[in-house]
Amino acid sequence: MTAFRPVYFTRRALDAMLRGPYVAFVGTATIFVAVFATGLLAAALGGAERLLQGWAGEVQISVYLAPGADLEAAARASRALAPGRAVEAVPAATALRRLAETLGDEARVLEGVGPGALPDAVEVRAPGITLAGARELARVLRGVPGAAEVDYGNAWLEKLEAFVARAQVAAVVLFAALAVATAVLVSNTLRLAVFARRDEIEIMKLVGATSGFVSAPFLIEGVLQGLLGAGLAVLALLGLHALLVPRLQTAVALAGTLTLRDTLPLPLVLGLVLGGGSVGLLGSALSVARTLRRMHGT
Amino acid sequence: MIQLFHVTKEYPGDGPALQDVTLEIDKGEFVFLTGPSGAGKSTLLKLIFCDEPATSGQLLLFGKNVAKIRPSAIPFVRRNIGVVFQDFKLLPQRTVAENVALPLEVRDLADKEIRRRVRMLLRSVGLEHRADKFPPSLSGGEQQRVAVARALAADPTLLLADEPTGNLDPDRTLEVMELLHGANARGTTVVVATHDRSLLERYKRRVVVLDHGRLLSDGDSVRRVSGS
Repeated sequence: MTAFRPVYFTRRALDAMLRGPYVAFVGTATIFVAVFATGLLAAALGGAERLLQGWAGEVQISVYLAPGADLEAAARASRALAPGRAVEAVPAATALRRLAETLGDEARVLEGVGPGALPDAVEVRAPGITLAGARELARVLRGVPGAAEVDYGNAWLEKLEAFVARAQVAAVVLFAALAVATAVLVSNTLRLAVFARRDEIEIMKLVGATSGFVSAPFLIEGVLQGLLGAGLAVLALLGLHALLVPRLQTAVALAGTLTLRDTLPLPLVLGLVLGGGSVGLLGSALSVARTLRRMHGT
Repeated sequence: MIQLFHVTKEYPGDGPALQDVTLEIDKGEFVFLTGPSGAGKSTLLKLIFCDEPATSGQLLLFGKNVAKIRPSAIPFVRRNIGVVFQDFKLLPQRTVAENVALPLEVRDLADKEIRRRVRMLLRSVGLEHRADKFPPSLSGGEQQRVAVARALAADPTLLLADEPTGNLDPDRTLEVMELLHGANARGTTVVVATHDRSLLERYKRRVVVLDHGRLLSDGDSVRRVSGS
């Protein structure tokens, strides 16, 4: 049995990293890249999901009526079909005025456009509804008497939702593949560290060290490199968030509500850091076990 | 302490390195293993050190059949054995003191006790003033004295030395041999593999001669040297 001496083994691991900084750097860098890639994917998915939820908070479904349709009757029917939702009858003239207000200085392009250019409409506000819920409500509202067209949002949101759904499935597969690939990569990288110190291992065995005694500093080294690489990757992701999200907010209004909690929530950050440490431990364990097996004795 | 009964060691694709060797070494003995290169001296030491298994025959070490020692128990057997090599096998990136401390660290001794014993060991080999140096900055003789100090660090009952003076000049050779003799005088069984006849002439000790893996003779050094 080898007594577990965390302070002694950690001191030996740190000592080895200081004496072989290049190998320690390569191991740390490998884990950094893997954790950064994983974190970036997770943060992008988290952000996209938040955008979809943000859209749901503002959703408004417009039922455009055919010429000659009864606006009040359509509004009543809409209230019946969407109980509990705020329903507003918007005559064509009101719609044109609102459009002019929205255009501001550009409103002159509407000169000569009569009230008949826009249809009467019924607007149904549905805050907090999901995209699927909005789609279903729009389908129901197509049954409003005189309804010519129902619009519930932008086409890109549909595409985004489909992409996020597909990406979530892909992410599970990708995370698993990435974890295995990283463990193999880290194992090979740490094998360099073990190989570089095979003389030390041989001498430790000569003086009566057990496999546990020989392995422990390598395992701690793997964990330290994993935690360091993952920690740096999280810092890089935080930096990227600070750099990209303000730009996204100026480009997409919905991104205005995007916060760090959406892209890099605490559970994700902890998961990345602990995942990095675990991958370092696993890779190190694989490589040191392989090296010890190849050496004489145990 | 060490008993070999018809021990043979063969390597795949090679001739036998040891053939039908029967030999007994008692506690407290000082034995020279000698013979030309390829005689099987190092192989014999490797078998005693549990570094390799015998192909056939039986080897008893400290009264235990080596073939029946569980692999996980081998490190604990090795803690009773000190080993010195021709090429020193010191860790170049660790100081002299750290090298000597290795067997003590493995035994889980307290830091204070390790420091005390390392200081004492280095004083005994005349290298206390070199404690913080790194092995590459030492002469060959000094490095071998460090290796001897490391081998003796944990008070082993058996000390194996494989050509310990092979890389040293005559003066340094005598220094190292005196250290081995000192250990023997304190009760440690010492087995030295060497092809240096001057050592056999100088030290009147038991000499086991190997040739082509066979035990050629076993007797005192005076008879061996004059007879050969």
